[in-house]
This record gives sequence, C-alpha cells and structure tokens, in this order.
Amino acid sequence: MLEIRDVEVAYEDLQAIWGVSMEVAAGEIVVLIGPNGAGKTTLMRAIAGLQPPLRGRIVLDGAPIQSLAAHSIVERGVVLVPEGRRLFAGMSVYENLLLGAYTAKARAAQAKSLRRVQEVFPILAERRDQAAGTLSGGEQQMLAIGRALMSLPRLLLLDEPSLGLAPLVVRDIFEVLRQINRDGVTLLLAEQNARMALELAHRAYILEQGKVAGQGTGPEMLASDHVRRAYLGYVTAGEEASEK
Amino acid sequence: MRTAPPWPARAAERFTGPAVLLILIAGALVVPQLTDRRDTITLLFLVFLYIALAQSWNLLAGYAGQINLGHAAFFGVGALVTRDLWTKEDVPFAAAFLAGGGAAVLFALAVGIPTFRLRGIYFAIGTLAMAEALRITVSNLRPQVTALPAQALATYDLEPRYYLALGLAVCTVLVAFILPRTRLSLGILAVREDEEAAEASGVNALAHKLAALVLSSFFAGLAGGTFAFYHVSYYPDRPFFPIWTFDAVLATFIGGVGTLAGPIVGATFFIVVRDRLAVEVQEVHQAIFGLLFILVVLMLPGGLVEAWSRARRLLRRTR
Amino acid sequence: MNLEPIFQNLVYGLFVGGLYGMAAVGLSLVFGVLKVLNVSHGELLMLGGYVSFTLFDAYGVDPFLSIAIAAPLLFLVGLGLHGGLFRWVMRLHEEAKIKNSLLIGFGLALVLENLALRVWTADERAITTGYSGEGVTLAGIVFPYTRMSGLVVAFMAVMLLHLFLTRTYAGRAIRATSEDWEAASLMGINVQRTYVVAFAIGTALAGVAGTLVSLGYTIAPSIGLAWTLKALVVVVLAGLGSIFGAFAAGILLGEAEATSIYVFGASYREVVGLVLFIIVLLLRPQGLFGRRVR
Repeated sequence: MLEIRDVEVAYEDLQAIWGVSMEVAAGEIVVLIGPNGAGKTTLMRAIAGLQPPLRGRIVLDGAPIQSLAAHSIVERGVVLVPEGRRLFAGMSVYENLLLGAYTAKARAAQAKSLRRVQEVFPILAERRDQAAGTLSGGEQQMLAIGRALMSLPRLLLLDEPSLGLAPLVVRDIFEVLRQINRDGVTLLLAEQNARMALELAHRAYILEQGKVAGQGTGPEMLASDHVRRAYLGYVTAGEEASEK
Repeated sequence: MRTAPPWPARAAERFTGPAVLLILIAGALVVPQLTDRRDTITLLFLVFLYIALAQSWNLLAGYAGQINLGHAAFFGVGALVTRDLWTKEDVPFAAAFLAGGGAAVLFALAVGIPTFRLRGIYFAIGTLAMAEALRITVSNLRPQVTALPAQALATYDLEPRYYLALGLAVCTVLVAFILPRTRLSLGILAVREDEEAAEASGVNALAHKLAALVLSSFFAGLAGGTFAFYHVSYYPDRPFFPIWTFDAVLATFIGGVGTLAGPIVGATFFIVVRDRLAVEVQEVHQAIFGLLFILVVLMLPGGLVEAWSRARRLLRRTR
Repeated sequence: MNLEPIFQNLVYGLFVGGLYGMAAVGLSLVFGVLKVLNVSHGELLMLGGYVSFTLFDAYGVDPFLSIAIAAPLLFLVGLGLHGGLFRWVMRLHEEAKIKNSLLIGFGLALVLENLALRVWTADERAITTGYSGEGVTLAGIVFPYTRMSGLVVAFMAVMLLHLFLTRTYAGRAIRATSEDWEAASLMGINVQRTYVVAFAIGTALAGVAGTLVSLGYTIAPSIGLAWTLKALVVVVLAGLGSIFGAFAAGILLGEAEATSIYVFGASYREVVGLVLFIIVLLLRPQGLFGRRVR
C-alpha cells in the first residue's frame, strides 16, 4: 500500500533521514522504533506531506505522493496523528472532531463517524463541549485519534501515541488501535515504547540516526538481541558475566 | 548583526568594505567644493540625515532585537530642544545640538524602563502609541511655526548643515561598526537570542537593552538637532510625525536589518530613488515608488545588502 | 448638575467606538490567521469609503445599501492583493514574514493613497443623505440616525462574522488555521486557500468600516494612516484571538476618549486614549481579552 524508496528528508536545515526504504502492506500494523532524534517524527511528517523529501519517492497505491500538499494527502486517506497531539486547544472536543471530518468525503459520513468515535471513546461523548485543552493527557490522545478517525483514514499514521501517558492508559489505547486495525485500517506507528509497540506490530523497522538499522516481524524483533539490549532494557547473559 | 561578522581571511576582502567607505566619505567631503547646486547638496544632506536616522534605529532593532516604532519621538525631542535652546535662548548651536541628543536620551530612559517589559509586537505598538501621544501633545502646546531669527536667516549657509549631517552619519556608522566588537555587545546579543538564558548566565538584560536604547536615542536626537539646524521654518510637531520612524524602518529593512551597510544602502536607495521619481514622474511618483518598493521586497526578501552578497558569492563561484 | 452633556458625550463615544471596533475587527482577523500586520488596512478602509461615496454621489445609492456592493468588491480586491502580493511572504519563516509583509503593506499603502488621490482628489468627502443630521431624541439626548445605524451595522457585521467562524466549516477551518496551521492541514484543510479567504474577509470588513466612516465622518486619501494606527491600537488593546474582543475594545477606546474630553479637553482626546492603552498594556501585556498569556 505504502512504499518509501530511498527517501532523504531535512529538518530545519539539517538532514535527518538518509536513504530510508520501507513498506507497509494493506491491513498491516507496522511499527517504527528507534531512539530519540532518530528521525521517526521527521519521517512521519514527510509521509503526511508536512515536510517534502529532498530525494526519494513515497508511493501510495502505486501513485507518488511525496510532492503533494498535506491536505491532498489527507484526501487520499493517509491521516497523521502528530506527535504531541496538536489538538485545537481553544476549541471544544466536538469542534475538534468535526474538523477531523473536513474533507468532502469525510463530511458526508460525518454523523456516522461521530457515533462510531464516541462508541470507541465514550469519554469523548461525555466531554463533548469541553475545551480540548482542558482534557487529561490520555483523553487528549483519544481525542486526537478520534479526530483522525473522522477523516476516514485507510492508512493511519501515529507519532508517539504513548508519549507522556500512564501505562494503563497506553494499554487501553493500544487495544483500541488493535480494534481499529481489525476494522480495516492500516497502521504505521512510530513509538518510543518499544515493548508495547512490538507486541502490537505485525512488522517493525528500527530507525537509528536517520537510517534503517533492522527490520522483521513483531515476534522476531522481540526476540532479537540487539532490540532487547537497546530498546527493551535487557542485559544478555554474556554481558552480565563480563560486567561482574 | 547576528554575530560579529567573520573576519575575512583574504586581505583584499578585509579592506574592500572600509576602503569603499573611505572613498565615499572623501568624495562626500569635496562635493560642496565641486558644485554649487543646492538641489544636489540638499539631496546628499537628506541621504546623510536618513543614514543617521536609520542606523540609529538599527542599533536597537538589528542589534538588540527590539522593533521600536516610536523612534520619531527621539528625533522630535532632539529637534525641539535644539531649536528652542538655539533660537530662543541664544545658546550656541554646538551646545544646543548636544543638549538635544541628551534630552532624547533622558526621554528614552524615562519611557524605556517601563516599556521594556513588553515584547515583540506589544513593544512595537506600545512605542508607537507613546510617540503619537507625544506628537499630539507637542502639536497642542506649540501650534506656532518656529522660524529662524533674522540674523540667523541672513547668515544661512547650506555648507555647515551639509557637513554636520555628513559627520553625524559617519559617527553613527562608526558606532554601529564598533559596538559589535565590544564586550558590551556580547551581552546585548545574548539577550537578543534568548533573554531568559542570558539572565540565567548573569547578564542583566535590562541594563544591556538600555545601553542600546541610550545609543539609539542619542543619535536620533542628534539627527533631530540636525533637522532643526537645517530648516528655516517649520511647525514644531513636524519632526514627531511617525513618517520619520517608518522611513527609518523601511530604509533599514530594504537595506538589510542587522547589517552595517544595510541602513546606508537602504537610506541612499530610499532618498535617491524617491527624489528621482519625484522629478521625473512627478504626478504618480509616490505610487511608482510604492510599486518599486513592493518589487524590491518580493524579489529580494533579504534586503539589498543580502542580495548583493548573494550576487558576489555567485560571481565568485562562476569565476 | 446637568448630566445631559455627559450622557450625550458617552453616546457619541459609543458610536465612534463602534467604528473603531469595526475598523479593528478586519485587522484582527488577518493578524490572527495569517500572522501578518497589514499596514495598508487603513487605505483599504479608505477605498471602501470612496466606493460608497462614488455610488452615492454618482448614482444616489443609499450608503447602507452600498455596503452590499462595497463589501463584495473589497472582498475581490482582497483576493487579488493576497494572491498577487502577500501570498509570497506567507512561506517565509516568521521573522522574515513579518518584516516583508510590513514592507509590502507600506508599498501598497503608498500606491492606494496615490490612486485615490488621482481618482478623487485630495478634497475631503462625506456622504450627506436626506436623513443626515436628523435623529431620535430620548430624554434630551440626541441619537443621530446615521451614527446609530452605523453602530447597528457594525454590530451586525461582527455578529455575522462570529456566526460564520463558529457555525460553518469554512469558518472553523479559519479558526483552526489560526490556532495551528500545520494541524489544520492535517485535517485536510487547504491552508493556502484559508489564508486567501481570511485576508479577503478582512479587506471586506475594512471596506464596510470605510463606508461607515464616509457616512458619519469625512474621508480623504490621507486618512489611511490614522485609521491603521487606530485599528492597530485597538487590536493590541484587545489582545489576540477574539473578534468580539476587538469590537469591545474599540468601544472601550471610544468611550475612554469621549470621557477624557471633560477632564483634558477635546484636543487631548487621542492622547488620553493612547496613554490609557499604554497603561493597560503595561498592566496586562496580553491585552484585555487576549488568550495567550505571555
């Protein structure tokens, strides 16, 4: 569904992504893990059209999208839930959700989408008229995801959805993501919380210093030594011995 | 003046700038000897006056990062004090001139201390409001024209006015040149980049901003004194009009904020082009000036000085 | 003590304040959404006034009806100005954007002022209708028809704008863009188009203000700067983010100026307004109704 070929992206005059190639097949959950500053956010922004790549191609269903404006990419069904949520804090929960359904297609299905989102996140129905900025962290993340769902995504991009959230909340949200995927939405997730992300993922890529440093299926990554050491906090038997 | 400009490696580059300036200054010094034409001398007078006005504004804006839209107030105070002392109190001009600069500084400090709490656009509009309030007050208190007394009128000579303006322009450029190379400047730049961080390192932000303000207002006041020296008769509120601020701002922007040559190039461009248009195209010259202005802005967003250095780099590469 | 003159003064302050507010609302919208200060706003106001004046002078169109022509006309002018000029600075980063938009605004102001000078001469103009100078008198206080209707029109315009911004998708898109344009683009909102529309609406609002000015006061090619300054003061006084706030701040300023006449006399009316503005700014840097706390 989505193909990223040899993409190079700069962020604020510095090159952040060096020749990255990736694939996301329809219906999959693909996860991007890697340390802070590896370029995960930059890559997500590039796919969403906020940051045109210097080189390379981003292809959606066979058509190149790397030079499209962000709003056009949304119209093609690729929706980003940005890092830090980026809700419209001064506007109500309801208005934020409405804005998610801005495109013509989404607007037509607006009522139905709204009901669905409120089913998945009942708390949003409760807080309907509250200003988005007054919600708790977890509620804000739910609103951000709900808002993205209103755009009728075929491919949902999420940048660090667990950031700043309590583990229980993260678990709930990841459960919702699993459900969304079962309903037919392809997911591409950039996550710092490697364990939960890999448990959710069908496949994963490791991004380090702007390059792909490894890839595999979810279980493969969970079992990999490198991943366990670098991202899961494990110390292997060999190292334990030499540390003593 | 984001940082002190890198000291160019090649000797030729190091001396081209100052050499050009020296040549220009030498040329300017002899112009009144070579020609008797009032309009040429007046034009150059205006260019020098505007250079001083723009450069003094640039000290606060390009350097300390504060967009002050009340600059005309300093100009006006300098003009008012100089004019009154000189024409009414019979104070010798030199003393009146310096007093004008000093008065502008006092005024600047009086309003600067409370106003510096404001930031960005709030500071800009706040200073504008203050200058306008002053203008209207002066307009009310001094509705009558100020005219040179008979004796001064009889001995009126354009040359000393010309040289005064030239000297002032050279001084302001010198100050603008030296300032980034002093220790004081490091503090000012630090405040400009990140005020909180600077404060945390022990830099007294307010003191540094006030220092830039003192210099800016002093030279603007002297420019006002020059204005008072030059004009035979005018309404006392005229130098307080916001157009003086805007002209200084625009000349600096067009030339390039924060650069040394910016106000010089910008002021020259501004005055010369406007004058030429007024002569050639008379009827719609303002409109054409406006259009030209817009074109320059759209095509050279960094200002004339930046466009020049880009062109030079381009030439160097193709050599 | 005879309270009549005081109340009469307050009533006039209300009317002029409504005008100030009307002049400020368009500027506030443009600044809030595009983050640029259009310093030719006063000249656009002046243009609107002249359009109405011409329609009245040449065709006898009642000024309030002429708004139906002047507003759309100025809207189109705004579309053109943004598309031709301001669009190019929107892509620059903040510092360069502010600087260059200021410069373009200045150049534009010069061009517009001179255009007006050529077409309408420097003479002051005003629209005097059959009902100008007449009014309703309540309890000894005069409410001139023109000024009263002007206030009503201004209020209705602001109301309409508010409804547009809060009840329509296009309006919500504008608000979203002014809060966070990147997030707005992630909603599928065409941010560049939103900029154009917001700018055009701001221009149209300036035009409406101009019509009201030509009716209650006088217009001349040179009034642009004074109205730009007035609008700037009101916008900053109100603080960013509130349309009603800009209107309310305008009225407050009008009343402050009117009240000051008693203490300081008419010639210091503006000074008092400006000084009060500065005091408010020092005590409350984010403006009276500003959302963001600095």
